[in-house]
Amino acid sequence: MSDIVSIKGLKYGLQLTFAKGASFDDVQANLLDKLQSGNSFFIRGTTVFVPKGHFAEEQNETLRKMFHRHGMLFSTELKRPNLAPPSRDSAKSPSQKFKESVEEAQKMMVINHTIRGGQEIKANCSVLICGNVNPGAQVIAGGSIDIRGTCRGFVHAGAFGDKTACVVADRLMPAQIRIADIIARAPDEPEKVNQAERAMIRDNQIIFEPVAR
Amino acid sequence: MSQIIVITSGKGGVGKTTTTANIGVGLAMRGNKVALIDTDTGLRNLDLLLGLENRILYDLVDVTSGRVQYKKALVRHKKYENLYLLPTSQIKDKSAVNPDQLVKLCEEMKKEFDFIIIDCPAGIEQGFKTAIAAADTAIVVTMPEISAVRDADKIIGELGRADKENIKLIVNRIRPQMVEKGDMLDMGDIDEILSIVCIGQIPDDEKVVVATNRGEPAITMSDSTAGQAYKNIVARLCGENVPFLKPQKEGFFARLKKLFGLL
Repeated sequence: MSDIVSIKGLKYGLQLTFAKGASFDDVQANLLDKLQSGNSFFIRGTTVFVPKGHFAEEQNETLRKMFHRHGMLFSTELKRPNLAPPSRDSAKSPSQKFKESVEEAQKMMVINHTIRGGQEIKANCSVLICGNVNPGAQVIAGGSIDIRGTCRGFVHAGAFGDKTACVVADRLMPAQIRIADIIARAPDEPEKVNQAERAMIRDNQIIFEPVAR
Repeated sequence: MSQIIVITSGKGGVGKTTTTANIGVGLAMRGNKVALIDTDTGLRNLDLLLGLENRILYDLVDVTSGRVQYKKALVRHKKYENLYLLPTSQIKDKSAVNPDQLVKLCEEMKKEFDFIIIDCPAGIEQGFKTAIAAADTAIVVTMPEISAVRDADKIIGELGRADKENIKLIVNRIRPQMVEKGDMLDMGDIDEILSIVCIGQIPDDEKVVVATNRGEPAITMSDSTAGQAYKNIVARLCGENVPFLKPQKEGFFARLKKLFGLL
């Protein structure tokens, strides 16, 4: 199974070569497996090269989408990718992009410790933090953020523009909170919070409301 | 079983060196064989606090570079015979000692001493990384002040990243009156943010300044509240269960005196 696809590091990205006789479905399944295993080869923003003419055009398109979903560029030509206009913008309709971002946001990253000052968590998906987010710490998520503890740091949910994202914490008192492109900051007079709250967008403003846990 | 303890804080001026000197003397008073290592190369102070500056012959840089045996560089305390100081160089800078050298040195010293206490420089750069490399216990010193607590939080994160699991907290220079008025962070606030085991709460005490200038740590003064707090910390380090000092409120007569003093 693991020999179906072999990966070779190049200056500008990763070159994929496929075993002789491997079917497209096998290749696709294998690549998806590798992508989801959190393999450190597949760093976001890396370009993946597939030899031109190996697969049919529509099959290439399927792979392109799969890599895009994992934040990578796809190319059939061995050259430095033109980074200025990301190809995916032209290739997909906005509704399609939104659908993908929602799918992404439905995944979740679990962090089982306190995020201390100076530390940063970044995820394309939603984030669950079992611990506190201390002052000076940052959490940036494509989806929503759930904090089982006190949030005093900087949180940004829906970082790709998802206005339905929310931030929940047992005690929500962030220094600054962003949801999609809307920013709110803590009041200058700090207030004590004793109940779990959820922050979300309503009428283009970030509002806090109590939630039961 | 000997212990290697690093005393660190991130922020400068919160009392790392004072704490190192006091804990060192306290442990030695209990009969332990203690070595204090100053790693604040270029800005050494620990020798001053112990009143040992004029006895220094060699320093940490001489030892780690292999010029002399560490035993030659150790300075024995004039009063407590089982307390030794390994001072650092005042001329070189932090790049003169690297983490591996300190680990090797501590491994060697471990055979001789019950406690090795490392005084860490402020900051999170090279000097900090060197100082924590050998330690199995870290004591983070902070003050009830947001910048100090913020830096302590960062330092705890860094210690976690360096796989130090045994991290303890000392809160220094607490002013009970200010805490009571709500002008200073109280222990609850600090505990909540840092969430690590606290082994000491030291009141702000003018006698510490006197002690520093005299080169005799406050722990040796019987009338110092900070000294008493340090004694309790030493007891807790030795595994005893000592309750925290009650914050001393200004008594009625003291207030009356002050009032008349003002008039």
